Amino acid sequence: MWLSAGRILKFGFQDIARNVWLSLVTVMILVLTLFSVNLLLAVQAISGAAVDTIKNKIDVSLYLSPEASADKIAVLKARISAMPIVNSVDFVSQEEALKRFQKFNVKDSTINQALSTLNSNPLTPSLVIKPSETGRFDELLMALNKIDDPLIQARDFDNYKTILDKIDAITKKVSEAGFFVSGLFMLITLLVIFNTAKVAIYTHRNEIGIMRLVGASNWFIKAPFLISSFLYTLFSSVFVTIVFYLFLNLLQPYLEAFFVGYTFNIMAYFTANFWAIFGLQFLVAALVNMLASWLAVSKYSNV
Amino acid sequence: MIKFKAVSKLYNDNVVALDNVSFYIKSGEFVSLVGQSGAGKTTLVKMLIGEENPSEGRIEVGGWDITRLRGSEVPHLRRQIATIFQDYKLLPKKTLLENVEFALQVCGKSMKKIKLVAPQVMRIVGLESKMHRYPHEVSGGERQRTAIARSLVYQPKILLADEPTGNLDSINAKEIVDLLLKINSFGTTVVLVTHNRDVVNKLRKRVLTLHEGRLVSDQAVGKYII
Repeated sequence: MWLSAGRILKFGFQDIARNVWLSLVTVMILVLTLFSVNLLLAVQAISGAAVDTIKNKIDVSLYLSPEASADKIAVLKARISAMPIVNSVDFVSQEEALKRFQKFNVKDSTINQALSTLNSNPLTPSLVIKPSETGRFDELLMALNKIDDPLIQARDFDNYKTILDKIDAITKKVSEAGFFVSGLFMLITLLVIFNTAKVAIYTHRNEIGIMRLVGASNWFIKAPFLISSFLYTLFSSVFVTIVFYLFLNLLQPYLEAFFVGYTFNIMAYFTANFWAIFGLQFLVAALVNMLASWLAVSKYSNV
Repeated sequence: MIKFKAVSKLYNDNVVALDNVSFYIKSGEFVSLVGQSGAGKTTLVKMLIGEENPSEGRIEVGGWDITRLRGSEVPHLRRQIATIFQDYKLLPKKTLLENVEFALQVCGKSMKKIKLVAPQVMRIVGLESKMHRYPHEVSGGERQRTAIARSLVYQPKILLADEPTGNLDSINAKEIVDLLLKINSFGTTVVLVTHNRDVVNKLRKRVLTLHEGRLVSDQAVGKYII
């Protein structure tokens, strides 16, 4: 049995060596397919991180009267905190609001000049409210609108939900395009593998005919072609893993600049999910390729 | 050994290749199967090696019903019925010895056995001095002897020779027929499919004659009659 397995393996390597250019083209197509799949995963991971970052920034502010007493503010804060759709409520005092404003506009001389001429703090204290779920943003706005308290002077409900919806829509479109490209490459790969096996069978038709004549089993005739397609997948997967890590290494500085203030490492993401991504990818690609090869061999090897 | 019972073969376009053919070949016999082109000889050979199934009737080889063989059973049949053809079917990039070894390799024989058996059969067919040559470096007769050597490696019960002298001159043809007789003398049943009148007439062995798909003659010591 081991002897036959060894010979099948030998014939599989011979198939690759004797059709070296065809093998290279097959491997390159597989590399493109696997690279596009990984690129899609990277885009999903990056957009997921971007959405999370924006979600963390989403809040609404209720601007309060400067004369409001601490007790009354505490009551209002407690009332809002008790809402199930509220994650957190932070009080920003008048002084804190001014500090933040000055810090934010430190380079704007006109604003700084205007503040100094005022000689007083024009800002009001506020309650900064974060929703428990971004999906319930509308619900939160409605609930806050219902609060009729004389302490509330103004309500700043920046519609972050629209931004989120836009990001989600872009992510969805990118994913759809990625799936389409990956699917297209997968289809091309299937056809290429199928034709590679077909050409290999044509090249070896005499050998296959003689194998049949002298009583070689069907398995012995077909298995080398399966071995070849398995090896194509193995070479491609190893190559893609190396190339993709190099690509991620080049991409990481740009992501760090984009996610400034947040920790997002795409390489760490791929490393943490290495087997789930590359292992599963290899298994699926190997199965699909061997299936294509098996179909070609079953169809064309009766020479 | 080989039993054909009312075997017919019709192709899709209603062409009758074999029509109600029955015969029995005993173990160790030497039988010539003759007939003109289109008589049904090739169809009969294909059925014997499991390449085609009969439309009607029954075929047995050594008591084994091979009328409706499954794909997985065909290799076993082909190790019992060795076949040689007019075009030798040798691999051009392998030496004569390697061609013989290849047959043993694909059937999972050990290297030890291959190194023992292959040179032995090359000696039997008289090619030990040329076994390291490539097919294009030897004569047609020597190529055919290599094909015979390859067919002998499994010690088959039956040797089916389909027009083995078709590409050979009379001297080489005689050498091949002598070799087949030698193999038959060891107890192997030989079925010689040919339309070479001289070969058949000189053999003075049993002759089955096919004509237009029917078995028209079965002579114990026969001649080429059509």
